[in-house]
Amino acid sequence: MLVVKCPVCGAEGDETDFHAGGQAHVRRPATCDPAHVTDAEQRDYLFIRINPRGLHFERWRCDRGCGKWFHAARDTVTMEFKAFYGITELPPMDVIAQAKGQWAEYFAKRLGAERSRETGA
Amino acid sequence: MSELSYQSPLAGLAEPHGLSVSIREIAGRGMIDLRGLGTDAAFMAAARGVLGVDLPTKPRTSASWGDIRVLWLSVDQWLILGTRARAHELLASLREALTGIHALAVDVSDMRAIIRLEGEGCREVLMKGAALDLLDKEYMPGCCRRMRYAEIAALLDVVEDNVFDIYVFRSYAHHAWNFLCATARAPAKLKLFGAQEVPG
Repeated sequence: MLVVKCPVCGAEGDETDFHAGGQAHVRRPATCDPAHVTDAEQRDYLFIRINPRGLHFERWRCDRGCGKWFHAARDTVTMEFKAFYGITELPPMDVIAQAKGQWAEYFAKRLGAERSRETGA
Repeated sequence: MSELSYQSPLAGLAEPHGLSVSIREIAGRGMIDLRGLGTDAAFMAAARGVLGVDLPTKPRTSASWGDIRVLWLSVDQWLILGTRARAHELLASLREALTGIHALAVDVSDMRAIIRLEGEGCREVLMKGAALDLLDKEYMPGCCRRMRYAEIAALLDVVEDNVFDIYVFRSYAHHAWNFLCATARAPAKLKLFGAQEVPG
């Protein structure tokens, strides 16, 4: 049994009170740049998912509670939740630091983009 | 022309017998679904002006004033309970007060059926269909929360220590009623949480 805690309303319960919504941080290319969406980008958006052994980032919904979506970082081996965070947020930095493989690449890219936006470069 | 009239989904059901707690339907209650931003001071003030009480912002709590009760459903959603006869009037004054504010008020009186459980041991009866620990001190009078009950969505309202209201969508009313009647049969009463008798 997974014990999930909603970061919005604080409700804690087993996974039947919640709804798993698949991989987190998937970006729809047409939302970012509707004029230039390639077939490859659209294919990746629809079908290609990360399936790691270890730390994974997912979307969950507080289905039988406040009804809000949120993010969770979960270890797929131990089934342990590492963090719950808001739907518009990035995971806590210490959890990002534990990410490996494709997730580590993703967060490095994402944080780099945010840093350059802040500095106006 | 024919007139629309409300009929309870549990109308005409036989009175249950041989139960360890009392189970009955609460009919004639008006319900208004109110949505708006809890962070919007104008919205909160307008709602307070009509209802006479602040919308509860603490998760899983409720507030009452007179015959009006407000249940917290989400950070931006509340369920207002009153008498069915007054629901129209209350909705009209809410809509008037909320003019120009990003908010929504809808009469949902016919959306849910309400079943009341009363009596010693009704927590144990409810726990047969729920994953929640209803003996936790969080579930004291005034607490309300949505939950999964008997595999369906339900809203639990702790009215008094041994008085619980369960709100289920009306299409599930029969299922919830039958499940409750089956799990509340007197011979099936649980004694798990008190002093247990050891068979001799």
